Amino acid sequence: MPERTYVVRRVGQALLVVVLVYTIVFFTLFVLPGDPVENKLTSPLNPLPPSAAEDLVRYYQLDLAPLQQFAVALGRLVRGDLGFSLVSGRPVVDVLAQGLSDTLVLAALAFVLTVVLSLAVALTAVFAPWGALRSLAAAVPVLSISAPSFLVGFVLLTVFSFQLGWVSSIRDQGLLSYVLPAATLAIAVNGPLSQVLVQGLTRARREPFVDVLRAKGVGERRIALGHVLRNGAVPSVTMLALVVGELFAGAVVVETVFSRTGLGFVTFESVRDQDTPVILAVVLLVSTLYVLVNLVTDLLYPRLDPRIVRRARPGRRPSPKVAVA
Amino acid sequence: MIRRHVVATTLTALALALTGCATAATGSGEPDDGGTLTYLDAEIPVSAQVQESGTWQTRALQQNITDRLVYRNAETGELEPWVAESWEVAPDGLTYTFVVRDGVTYSDGTAVDATSVARNLEWQSAGDPDKGTTANPQFPKALSAQADDASRTVVVTLETPYAPFLNVLTGWASGLVADATIDAPKEEQQRFVNLIGSGPFVVESEEYGKEIVLVRRDGYAWAPPSSPNQGEAYLAKVVVIPVLEDSVRLGTLRAGEGDIIRYVQPSEEKGLVDAGFEIVAGTGVGLSNQWFLRGSAPFLDDVRVRRALQRLVDRDTIVDTLYTDSWSPATSVLAPGTFGYTDLSDDVGFDPDEAAALLDEAGFAQRDADGYRTKDGRRLTVKTYIDVYDNTAKSLFQAVQQQLKEAGVDLTLHELDYSTYWSTAFADPEVGFLRVGWPHPDPSRGLQQYYSKDGSDLLGLEGGDVRLQELLDAQTPAVDDATREDLLAQTQQHLVDQGYVVPILDDSQVFVTAERVEGFRLTDGALPEFYTTSVTS
Repeated sequence: MPERTYVVRRVGQALLVVVLVYTIVFFTLFVLPGDPVENKLTSPLNPLPPSAAEDLVRYYQLDLAPLQQFAVALGRLVRGDLGFSLVSGRPVVDVLAQGLSDTLVLAALAFVLTVVLSLAVALTAVFAPWGALRSLAAAVPVLSISAPSFLVGFVLLTVFSFQLGWVSSIRDQGLLSYVLPAATLAIAVNGPLSQVLVQGLTRARREPFVDVLRAKGVGERRIALGHVLRNGAVPSVTMLALVVGELFAGAVVVETVFSRTGLGFVTFESVRDQDTPVILAVVLLVSTLYVLVNLVTDLLYPRLDPRIVRRARPGRRPSPKVAVA
Repeated sequence: MIRRHVVATTLTALALALTGCATAATGSGEPDDGGTLTYLDAEIPVSAQVQESGTWQTRALQQNITDRLVYRNAETGELEPWVAESWEVAPDGLTYTFVVRDGVTYSDGTAVDATSVARNLEWQSAGDPDKGTTANPQFPKALSAQADDASRTVVVTLETPYAPFLNVLTGWASGLVADATIDAPKEEQQRFVNLIGSGPFVVESEEYGKEIVLVRRDGYAWAPPSSPNQGEAYLAKVVVIPVLEDSVRLGTLRAGEGDIIRYVQPSEEKGLVDAGFEIVAGTGVGLSNQWFLRGSAPFLDDVRVRRALQRLVDRDTIVDTLYTDSWSPATSVLAPGTFGYTDLSDDVGFDPDEAAALLDEAGFAQRDADGYRTKDGRRLTVKTYIDVYDNTAKSLFQAVQQQLKEAGVDLTLHELDYSTYWSTAFADPEVGFLRVGWPHPDPSRGLQQYYSKDGSDLLGLEGGDVRLQELLDAQTPAVDDATREDLLAQTQQHLVDQGYVVPILDDSQVFVTAERVEGFRLTDGALPEFYTTSVTS
């Protein structure tokens, strides 16, 4: 069964990617200059004497050879134990859970906003009856790509929080607190997505099947939303997977501006402090999420375009992915 | 339009005058009781582990949660009783006897008695290797403490005299904690909710990176005698929220959502004062913000070159143009108000003529096409990395670069990110300048940490400067204050004479408070004191 082979191969690839990423990052951390204990000992902010090193190194088992440390880490990982943060002493699972719970809501909201925004922009740019409006909509992606999210976030904060006082800039007000950062994120990531969608729709509406549909007497609206959109959106689906990744880990700037402690924040902090156990856990989590989202899109392709499975040959990736990459 | 504007202004002025009166009225009487203060820090408090923590944001919390044995009055610099009612130091400096104040308790209800104090001191001194808890580097080694609860005395015996001890006991890192904290695993000790002290505030809740809520300690009645508040804290609650982005922190304060912020760009200060906010700034006792010069770097093995560099920094101009009244030019290796501080402004002051003469003498008389001094065809270039711990560092470094350029010295600035700064910048033998200098409860500990061969040996001398090493070594056992002050004076002079350090600024901590905040002051270590603070409702 070709479809089953396709699914099995995709799942296998996904697992392999996660394992490889974890391994590579684990050993890269040994090569990089500095480590958390060294930072702790030598940083003028934390002036511990060099004699404290031995105790700390032994406590954190950093005196083991890299391969031994890897074995220890893997052993713990299998048991679901991600260890403790070297910096804050919190269980890594707690750190991740806090980051993830914040990011899940933010990313989901931003995702919905992104899709709505991109569709609105692309449909307007391609199908709007007035040329001026089409040009205007076509310019939106460029505009949002060039607007730094720091600025967008700060402007939103200034208007809605500092001036109007509708949202707190520092306090957690539940769902309300997610709106501004989600909007900022959506504005930041919708640019490339809209662009690809505009191109896809433009190409699709010139395909011969559109003429056939029109000749059959199908209404313009149905052609646009039912057929052109479905055909022209395939490359954007790939793009959407990348967007999800960005929403999960790339939100550092947005989280800093809005004082949020999501995954972007956790990633930034752990890298800044070289908090090895947290870095590894974040890498594991984000690569898994990323791979999962890509897996879902890969498995979605055959639904959107059954030719993909038929075309796929061993060792070759389906064509729409290549086209976008 | 104009008319309405005038009316609005008049109304605002009237309102201000009225609230002004109201503030003045409450100001002259009793501070308002209760209320919540929102404090916005610039960084995230990460670890509450007593011996290992040292960041500004952590100190600020420890300061308000724990009490120390001895108190240093920030205004007079005098040591005063706190949890220790009195103390006695034997003439040989080997025995310290503390009498513990009666009736002090930790927030979990256990007593701050002689036994607990003795245990704290030994724990601080030795750490707990099995738990990966390190010793407090400020504490004397080989300390043993005998407690007698009946007479409330703790007798501390040292193997060698340790003159900085009393000063060290005043520091934020010497906070007394309950057995529950000492007995907890290291990971638990790192959480603020597990930092059980006897201070005027108790940690109620902690959400990592988001907020830490402090509530006042019921029945607190053991403030240092000189404190204007002798009872419970006025504030019922302090909400500590880290807001990392400078502009957001400022915007939040201006919008009235925050009451106090830490860290503001000097360029913002005037506007804030004009808008009715108050700037509360202070320099902690300890080492001034100084750039140390390493002889291993190209050209800097010549003391004349190093001395010339000292003379080329125009501190007054830097403070006037880049900073505000909250900051002051450094006058020595130590900050004013520190035990043993000596004013050396005549030796390190801006003197381009003398610097030029020194450089000529050192052989850098030629100039290249770009106007830089050269010797044997090599340009006088000094390399440095911009300090990552200070958000005013970049403009400061650029200003010094410009001043040196005018004198023909090429200062090249390099940047690193936070995580690699220390391991890279301090390991690079080519680097001439680097910035250090933080408050320390006792200056000799700071000096030794930076410049002794037993410390970080930032100068890379490995004890090669026998005079410096002797001076540094002589301070710890010098239990007589006059002798130690003399040694500290000689040390500062020697560091300056040898061109080892270029004092730049007296490092300030700058806070901005909203109008409704009253009584907010800083400790001798420039840490925020919420105990004397109140808010008008």
